[in-house]
Amino acid sequence: MFARMSDIDRMFNAMGLLRGRFDNIFSEFDRTVGYGDDWSVVGNYPRTNLYDKGDLFELVAEVPGLSNEDLDVKIQGNYLEISGKREVEIPNGYRAHRNERGSASFTRSLTLPSEVDSSRVSATLKDGLLVLTLPKSEAAKPRQISIS
Amino acid sequence: MDGKDLTQKDQTAVESTRNLRQVTPMVDIYENDDEILLHAEMPGVKRDDITVNIDNGNLTLTGLRTLTMEGAAEWEEFGNVEYQRAFSVPQTIDVNKVKAELRDGILALHLPKSEAAKPRQIEIKAG
Repeated sequence: MFARMSDIDRMFNAMGLLRGRFDNIFSEFDRTVGYGDDWSVVGNYPRTNLYDKGDLFELVAEVPGLSNEDLDVKIQGNYLEISGKREVEIPNGYRAHRNERGSASFTRSLTLPSEVDSSRVSATLKDGLLVLTLPKSEAAKPRQISIS
Repeated sequence: MDGKDLTQKDQTAVESTRNLRQVTPMVDIYENDDEILLHAEMPGVKRDDITVNIDNGNLTLTGLRTLTMEGAAEWEEFGNVEYQRAFSVPQTIDVNKVKAELRDGILALHLPKSEAAKPRQIEIKAG
């Protein structure tokens, strides 16, 4: 299979190359400029995190500068939709030098790992983060099985 | 192909002690006759974790985002980061009167111009 020592050497080199790519995963994570690299996901705004806390899910979304009125959240079963509009206006009497934050309307739909009880969902907005607490529906909750 | 040059890693670099990602916050900069207004987007950063430094015409903004991440992550698209950005500001900024406020993850920084730098209307006296 490996006729020469150099073949084995080459194989390890290839593995090193792969390791180099993995080393970069975290540095390419969370960048705000330069979308389009191999590991980043293009066009997912707002960015979200989803945590499973047993009885409930917690969804955190980055929505800087948005207030309650700008945001709309819809839930049905395990389908969740966050939509909103962000408007960046030049304050009255000022002129703009630099404008990196753009105005946009957005919709993002997400599929949750299981169904949630939409009547008990709560949402809070703090420091530009939207936190949705999504209690799982009874059928989806983890259950302790007693062994007889 | 000799892959050796490609895969060789530099082992002599000093070990980094921080592993927090540094990212650049997006900013808007506005100006009127009295001040320069800067809006920086820092979602998830608390008021106490923001520092604004003005030193010799250099303005440095930093914001530390530490999220409480509990439970098993189903997916994670953002994490703990350090927002950092530096600007040159004109010397005519009155450093003592700089004000900053944080609202909905947006830092608003008011940089008032000193009296001498403000545009002045010159009154023409009747001769």
